[in-house]
Amino acid sequence: MKVLQLMTTQKDPERNEIKFLNQFADFSASHRVLEIGCGDGRLTWRYARSVNHVVGVEIERDDLRLAMVDRPSDLEHNVVFVHADSVYLPFSKETFDLAILSWSL
Amino acid sequence: MTHEGMVHALGEIRRVLVSDGILIDLRPLLEHAPIEVVSASETRIAGTVDQLPEDRAGDEAADRAIAQAEKQNWLIKEREEFFPFNYYWDSPKETQEYLEAEWSNSVTVDEAVWRNARSMWAVANADAQVRLQLKMLITRWKVAERA
Repeated sequence: MKVLQLMTTQKDPERNEIKFLNQFADFSASHRVLEIGCGDGRLTWRYARSVNHVVGVEIERDDLRLAMVDRPSDLEHNVVFVHADSVYLPFSKETFDLAILSWSL
Repeated sequence: MTHEGMVHALGEIRRVLVSDGILIDLRPLLEHAPIEVVSASETRIAGTVDQLPEDRAGDEAADRAIAQAEKQNWLIKEREEFFPFNYYWDSPKETQEYLEAEWSNSVTVDEAVWRNARSMWAVANADAQVRLQLKMLITRWKVAERA
């Protein structure tokens, strides 16, 4: 992993993913968002300020740790991360308005 | 994840979404994604990645799972589109190291493609980067009315 830390990988600098996500998901009408496969939070940070509450679910503990460490301080109260498998989501029925399957099906 | 696991996951997502809730499915399509050497003045294709059969089988299982969810009237497709998602590195070496470390379970790249990339890189302008262009599929689904 040392090599990966030294190299620079730019992911979607054109921001196409968030542009299309904004077109497809009405964040202004979504109060509670579930992101499945949130990884290190790369996409989460790009929309989280537009909604009231985000729960990011990730099965890889290393990614989840990165997401928690990198969480901007202004998002501490509206973004939480949960270690879980999408096959068994640890939430009550009808909890979310919007779900995002983020590279995870 | 198995096909059955994917169907179960879609059922779980439907369960935790409100009636009329929305599911956005973002999926990268890796097959034949081009590796290019790009600069402000030109773009040259070095070759494409090859998706591994087991990864392709996973994509096909996902397609079947979502089709099953639609058939069972769990989800209604509202909109679908493709868009490019680009990765950039500062050299072919970095690209190769990244793909071998991160994507070795999903794709392989023929040595001839790396040779092409290195040759193109050697004569490219100083601002040149290596780009991997993925095709992304985004689909908006609405949770169907519950009985």
